[in-house]
Amino acid sequence: MARLAHFELFEHTADLGVRVWAPTRAALIAPATEGLYAAIGEVVAGGAAAPWSVNLAGDEPALLLRDYLAEVLHLFDGARRRLARVEVQQFTDECLSVLGDACPVDMGRSVLVREIKAITYHELALRRVADGYEATWIVDI
Amino acid sequence: MSEAFSGPLERLDHSRWRIPRSYKPGMRVDGIIYADDQLIEQIRSDKAPEQVANVACLPGIVGASLAMPDIHWGYGFCIGGVAATDPDAGGVISPGGVGYDINCGVRLIRTDLSRADVQPRITAIVDQLFQTIPCGVGRGGRVKFGQADLRRLLAEGSRFVVHKGFGWESDLEVTEAGGCLEHANPDFVSPRALERGTDQCGTLGSGNHFVEVQVVDEIADPQAAAAFGLQLGQITLMIHSGSRGLGYQVCDDALKDLRNVPARYGIELPDRQLACAPVKSPEGQHYLGGMQAAANFAWANRQIMTHLAREVFSGIFRRPPELLGMRLVYDVAHNIAKLEPYEVGGRRRTLCVHRKGATRAFPAGHPEVPAAYRHVGQPVLVPGDMGRCSWVLVGQPAAMEHTFGTCCHGAGRVMSRTAAIAAAKGRSIEKELLSQGIVVRAPNAKGLAEEQPAAYKDVSLVAEAVHASGISRKVARLRPLGVIKG
Repeated sequence: MARLAHFELFEHTADLGVRVWAPTRAALIAPATEGLYAAIGEVVAGGAAAPWSVNLAGDEPALLLRDYLAEVLHLFDGARRRLARVEVQQFTDECLSVLGDACPVDMGRSVLVREIKAITYHELALRRVADGYEATWIVDI
Repeated sequence: MSEAFSGPLERLDHSRWRIPRSYKPGMRVDGIIYADDQLIEQIRSDKAPEQVANVACLPGIVGASLAMPDIHWGYGFCIGGVAATDPDAGGVISPGGVGYDINCGVRLIRTDLSRADVQPRITAIVDQLFQTIPCGVGRGGRVKFGQADLRRLLAEGSRFVVHKGFGWESDLEVTEAGGCLEHANPDFVSPRALERGTDQCGTLGSGNHFVEVQVVDEIADPQAAAAFGLQLGQITLMIHSGSRGLGYQVCDDALKDLRNVPARYGIELPDRQLACAPVKSPEGQHYLGGMQAAANFAWANRQIMTHLAREVFSGIFRRPPELLGMRLVYDVAHNIAKLEPYEVGGRRRTLCVHRKGATRAFPAGHPEVPAAYRHVGQPVLVPGDMGRCSWVLVGQPAAMEHTFGTCCHGAGRVMSRTAAIAAAKGRSIEKELLSQGIVVRAPNAKGLAEEQPAAYKDVSLVAEAVHASGISRKVARLRPLGVIKG
């Protein structure tokens, strides 16, 4: 039976790691987004959604994923918004384009446990595995 | 968890261990780790020593790649790492050698209050500090700066906010570098970083940041303690925080900008997180200017929180903070890179000293030690966990000879965050600490569980190791009575 896309948090001495798996490279983006929110705590959306998009260029898929996550973190940190839905337009070796719906974070219902300083390059990886794609990264807390 | 380090660690003496330059290709100098027999076993358990060896590969590194006893696994550089590079010999500057929280640091405020004055009011004091000093994930501050003021703050650091009324002129005299790195360049701070910093000056943040009400419970060096204004039974206040989102963004921007720079300068690195540029290159100067601006932001941040804490004490004891003797003892950075002069090979050279989770520790007589302390040396502030203690040390001449005037910065974690949460299941950390007489307030229980005392090394072991090595000397031990966790 095929695995569903998912994420898990894993330990790192002072910080926290996120591992995601999906059947395709593009399908990594949704669990990666949720994995980032899980590292922060329970980030609950509330209020009307607004369209959000990001287009990134580069030369390495793992770095594109890191840069995408940095944008999601900035959306949370700067505008207190959470992506309720993401749609990957393309995720090639050189480009990542994502559309999404960004909702205000419901501060009353959210439990913000950790302040994520940044998405680090430590143990940053995006690789093909037997039944799909796997990515890992560490967030600095 | 990472694998244990399996490379060589040769004993040099009772407090130093060497990773020889022959360990891996590309090492330009030895790695040297400060630790006693007990700490070295913990240090071997992850890859931090490998990172010490990797840092030894940086162009222009001088002396040795150093690590303090509170070393643990970091990003590129280990936490507790020290590296000095010579800009005149192609030496590099690396954002990984400073860290994301630029000028994360500690300050200590003394008071004329005794334990007997404070103990009956400790819950009220802690509650009031918790309400007054914004803390927790992304909390904005009580003090807002417009773009023009923010740029001045980045250029002038603590001085700017003191002149705005947040503190005393005397605070500047006992802040490392006077709370201002003169060559800071706000033009090298991105709009996104400015945006993250707009309302965060005067906020504690999250993670291991704290404000702690303490009592001096041991004096190890009476002369230095007297010079610092510390005595047995006295109440002190310690603040640990950094440059908040602004500093994180300056580091993140730099790491992105520097991705392809090492190759451009023909620099081969064993780990891409050591991304760097020659100090004298345009890229190096850009990072240096932005990093210095973020460092100034951090000093202003701790200065505003000092002002807020003084207001809290003043309100509770119904006396102005001046009459409570709430004088700043010292403020020291432990995530920074600075250009400092050293005698190397019989020649005076200006080196770029990276301290990542490491504290400056200048000895008596050094011109950068405040005049009031110059006969004893610079205070070195070493916070521990919220259940045990923190230490005040004083810099010694051996630090100038062996560690580029540097010492440890804290306890260092031994338990991951997930392990700490698992270990706290079914327990109340808040109640456990209360049973020890320590009142704690935090935005949520999970964050408190992650920061529980058992998650850290015993800071007294770290203090003892640096004391035994001769790079710093123990002055006073501070026990927590009340803690605000971010």
